[in-house]
Amino acid sequence: MTLIADNIRVTYGARTALNGVDLRAEAGELTAIVGPNGSGKSTILGAITATLPYTGRVTLNGCDIQQQKPWQLAAQRAVLPQASQLAFPFTVIEVVRLGLQAGSGATDDSIPMRALSRVGLSHYAERTFQELSGGEAQRVMLARVLAQIWKPVEDGQTRWLLLDEPVSSLDIAHQLQVMELAREFAEQGGGVIAVMHDLNLTAMYAQKIAVLSRGECLASGSPREVLTDGVLSCAYGCTLRVSAPVPANVPYILPHAASA
Amino acid sequence: MVATTNIPIVSRDRFAKARALHVILAVILLMSAAVSLETGATEVRLSTLVCKAVAGTPFSQIETVVMLDIRLPRLMMGILVGAALAVSGAAMQGLFRNPLADPGIVGVGAGAGLGAIIAIVLGGFLPAALQSLAGRHLIPIAAFLGGWGSTLLLYRVSTRQGRTSVATMLLAGIALGALAGALSGVLVYIADDQQLRDLTFWGLGSLAGASWTKVTAAAPLIALSVGLAFMLGRGLNGLALGEATAGHIGLNVERLKSLTILSVAGATGAAVAVSGGIGFIGIVVPHLLRLASGPDHRTLLINAALLGASLLVLADVISRTIIAPAELPIGIVTAVMGAPVFLWILLKRRGMVDL
Amino acid sequence: MTPLRDNFALFATMLSLCLGLAFAVSVNRLHAKAGSEEQADVLSIGGSVTEIVVALGQQHRLKARDTTSVYPEDITALPDVGYMRALSSEGILSVAPGLILSEEGAGPPEALDVIRGADISFVEIPSAVDGDGIAAKIMAVAKALDVPERGETLAAEVRESLAAAEKQAKTASDNAHRVMFVLSAQDGRIVAAGQDTEADAIIRMAGGINAVTDVSGYKQLSDEAIGLASPDVVLMMDRRGNHAISDEALLELPAMRLTPAAKTRSIIRMNGLLLLGFGPRTAEAVTELHRQLYADGS
Repeated sequence: MTLIADNIRVTYGARTALNGVDLRAEAGELTAIVGPNGSGKSTILGAITATLPYTGRVTLNGCDIQQQKPWQLAAQRAVLPQASQLAFPFTVIEVVRLGLQAGSGATDDSIPMRALSRVGLSHYAERTFQELSGGEAQRVMLARVLAQIWKPVEDGQTRWLLLDEPVSSLDIAHQLQVMELAREFAEQGGGVIAVMHDLNLTAMYAQKIAVLSRGECLASGSPREVLTDGVLSCAYGCTLRVSAPVPANVPYILPHAASA
Repeated sequence: MVATTNIPIVSRDRFAKARALHVILAVILLMSAAVSLETGATEVRLSTLVCKAVAGTPFSQIETVVMLDIRLPRLMMGILVGAALAVSGAAMQGLFRNPLADPGIVGVGAGAGLGAIIAIVLGGFLPAALQSLAGRHLIPIAAFLGGWGSTLLLYRVSTRQGRTSVATMLLAGIALGALAGALSGVLVYIADDQQLRDLTFWGLGSLAGASWTKVTAAAPLIALSVGLAFMLGRGLNGLALGEATAGHIGLNVERLKSLTILSVAGATGAAVAVSGGIGFIGIVVPHLLRLASGPDHRTLLINAALLGASLLVLADVISRTIIAPAELPIGIVTAVMGAPVFLWILLKRRGMVDL
Repeated sequence: MTPLRDNFALFATMLSLCLGLAFAVSVNRLHAKAGSEEQADVLSIGGSVTEIVVALGQQHRLKARDTTSVYPEDITALPDVGYMRALSSEGILSVAPGLILSEEGAGPPEALDVIRGADISFVEIPSAVDGDGIAAKIMAVAKALDVPERGETLAAEVRESLAAAEKQAKTASDNAHRVMFVLSAQDGRIVAAGQDTEADAIIRMAGGINAVTDVSGYKQLSDEAIGLASPDVVLMMDRRGNHAISDEALLELPAMRLTPAAKTRSIIRMNGLLLLGFGPRTAEAVTELHRQLYADGS
């Protein structure tokens, strides 16, 4: 079970945002997409979620996503947008229940509450969504996404979590909590694709990393293959130094002041 | 995923409350209908007629006329128009994700009005066969088409790359309203005396012109449109998350949007066609209901139909009894009731982040 | 916001509605008691029709009137069924008329359909813009009230006095004034009477010339069209209230400032019903308008 994006091009008017990008994500893995601002990270996520018009081909579990109805896609993957918006004063639990729209396996009434407690917000169930802080709102939206595809594998089919900067507005404890959730989902057979800003968190949790720069894929592979001084400095256009202490064997990246 | 133990059980409080409200509002509607049939400028009373019917006494002619030809069609039209306006308001607010969107405010009413004026003034230029085919339904049909056309236009103008801008929508609505008003002005200028008279009768914003002909013309369109809106509740809930996310949770967003527009245009067009412009019902009713039982459109739309119908029926009772035997235009009554609530919504929203 | 306060909003709205209803119903009851006189069974709709009924000596038969029926003044004590173009069918039935006399153009049509369906005799009186028309109106009213002889006498009287008034108006005016009838001047937009209007007819009868020649009906005029019309005199209805505009304000409008009427400050205000009603008092209106037009002996 895979998610494959093949030669994806996206243009915004005259500007080319993605110029023939390939991406491949496997079930059971957390695939991270990193890169500087404006490199096309969110655009590629927009393409593989069928939110943006693109040329090329995206297949989800072997089927072209253009050939599938919105509810068929919704049964296979859930999407966490970068910024959450909500129009009316729904309560937190009502928002999470909206995730059950897709219908498949949604008969279990307890799922929304369980999803909410997974993100540690079950005590906020009856609050109005608009009263929450940015980070809390983001976690509620994550709970909604989890409720949509509660089981990582359903009827032998992999389900996918597509996350656009899932930890951007969270404190460090909740960053770890959310990344643990994503890893757990992948370990149980699901697939996770996450657009990430924090390279160190990415190095800790991702099995595969794709580095985008100026609308093209600069490198992809395991953290140890991709996270090198050369690739990162080229992608971000600044000097970065990657180290990997022996005990943890996880690369970590330090910014390197030019004057030092 | 691993199930977490000891999950607190959350009551589905608001949903249950909204369901209970169906019953309460239905009872209120029945009571409003009874009040409407009981009161009026003449001494004819529903209660008297019921007693007579039980006793087997025949009704006098005046009783039959007042009950069957005046109050009953008027009650039916009040229910239809009130439900149509309130449901259209709620659906429009769901579509634009803004509690202040209203078919009246965003120029749909003006479009429907323009359609009606075109029919009155230029209807004579239609081929005779078409005229006789449309007959008395010509004005409602034209109003419906005008309302639908302006809704579609509005939606096109305010939607870029699948995103609908609320600000553009409101501005475009004002522009569209002004344009429709200007075109109406031109038509009024070239209208002759008889047409001007028809225009005055049409634009009163009143249920005074209620007749079985109008009720039977409007009923199917309003029933279909409101019924369609009832089926869009889940979709409109999802749309609250934004169009992209609504698509991600499995909704066919484009279809949802066009069905909502169809429903709003159908209900508003038909309502405006038979009763002229009646304001505030579309904003005030959904807002009160959101305060009472939450924004869930599955229940909100049904409650809006019930409360909208009750409010308009009661407003009509006031309009036709307060200066009897003359009548106060119902638009004045709904404005007196609605304008303060509208202002109150605005004041309350001042402090909120997302307008 | 607590649930209690949420419900309070709903509750308050319903409560205010109920209070409104209670008030409406109680007022309604008061009205219902008011109008009950013996013999009276005629509902007269249209100011000039009501005047004709009174002129025929049949005032005692009037039971109710519409908003435009305000002459003679004691008629205003009768119940008012509303504006003649926005009648309420049940309002009309509630005064239980045996006969409805209505000037042409009453409505809405649906309300009239119901009235006709209720077996109440409904007589439509044709509108008029000349002496023959007024005579025909009088005859129609007289016939409906079953006093044809009185009708003939009144018609002859009215015809005679009108002819005399017209004759007098004609002879006195070799240098006829250009008159513009201004129906309304809200927000500086002037709606004036063109050809084929009651105002046009009365201006001619009084020996004036309608300054607005190339439009028909009551139309809003552009500033330049008003300049082109160059009226010597502006004629208006003397209604009070928020429709009224002061002489100063009217003459200060850019459109009016350059007209001869503004230079001589010539504005004539007359009672609308008298001026445009085309009833028994039209001869009086012609004489009065003529007097005011040529009062300074020009």
